[in-house]
Amino acid sequence: MDPTAQQDLRDEEVVALCQQGQSEVFEVLVRKYMEKAFRIAFDFTHDTEEAKDLSQEAFLRAFSRIKQFDGRSSFYTWFYRLVVNLCLDYTRRKGRVIWERLEKQTEGGAEPVEVADGSSLPDEEAMAGEAKRRADKTLEAMPNKQRTAFLLRNHQGLSIPDIAKVMKTTEGTVRVYLHRAVAALRQSLVEFV
Amino acid sequence: MKLPENTLPTACTDFEEDLVLHYYGDGSEAERNRVEAHLEKCAPCRAFLEDLRRLLPQMAKPNELPQSFWDNYYRETLAKLAAAEERKFRWRNLFVPMRAWMLPAFGTAAVAVLAVALVFTKGHWHFSLKQPGESIPQEILVDTNQLEFFKSMDMLEALSKLETLDGTKLETVNSRG
Repeated sequence: MDPTAQQDLRDEEVVALCQQGQSEVFEVLVRKYMEKAFRIAFDFTHDTEEAKDLSQEAFLRAFSRIKQFDGRSSFYTWFYRLVVNLCLDYTRRKGRVIWERLEKQTEGGAEPVEVADGSSLPDEEAMAGEAKRRADKTLEAMPNKQRTAFLLRNHQGLSIPDIAKVMKTTEGTVRVYLHRAVAALRQSLVEFV
Repeated sequence: MKLPENTLPTACTDFEEDLVLHYYGDGSEAERNRVEAHLEKCAPCRAFLEDLRRLLPQMAKPNELPQSFWDNYYRETLAKLAAAEERKFRWRNLFVPMRAWMLPAFGTAAVAVLAVALVFTKGHWHFSLKQPGESIPQEILVDTNQLEFFKSMDMLEALSKLETLDGTKLETVNSRG
């Protein structure tokens, strides 16, 4: 199939083609979701290599299980669930390591921080960096479900119904998780408010 | 690093969750109207919402990665997918050609082995009925108590024989006498 035509395909069409044996079309889904998958994994791991491995593993799993995808949810909800589950497994396995890494970052002082417009002053940059580190620490200390709900809403922009599908829970529960996470973050960033 | 102990003024308890949803643009229209009406007359809730607007977008700001990173990521992922696909096909391909010739080949080999075995053993095959470790039936096993019983029975039989012998001897003596 023509690569340009491939890019125009909807997720459901790509999945249907993969299920019929045209596995090369899966590249479209990789191209479309690689950044989002990597970002989620990075939010959980704070490590570029680990995030890369986890998100690529999610693609491999999606690829090998594509025939099991029944279309009851959208592909991206299904795929997000794979990524989130891999990330949660990772945090359960390596929770202590992540915590120690964040502690070192905090003790080691300011690290280079990316600034969107490049016009802010060094003090502001350092302040923003510190606030980000504090927020990361607070997120790490949160229960997994609260953190997952927050990351999917705040960082990934998923809707509450979609988060509920990814987390296999109710929308009401997601709202509670989200509220608790936001309240905890706001409180931890009291100095920067 | 020790976190500060001072705390922020909180929003109204009944509205805090709704304010979070309001910030993200979630919730029904009725909920949004209710929150907006409340915000007009509640300063702490307005401050709460303002804090969220200031803090949360900063947290979501991703570290910028160069295009080369994404190009490399894409290539690596496709390579991993190709390797996975190849592994799957390697297993499948291993069995596909075998199906065509495997059955007659194995059948011929089995007949040949049987024929050779018959020739060299001349048809005299000995099958051991008793397998190693095979258990002996309980009826065949004799315990020591049973042995003592049989011995005592033998002795009684011997005594009765002696008595019989003694009896015949006496009769002979009496008849002679």
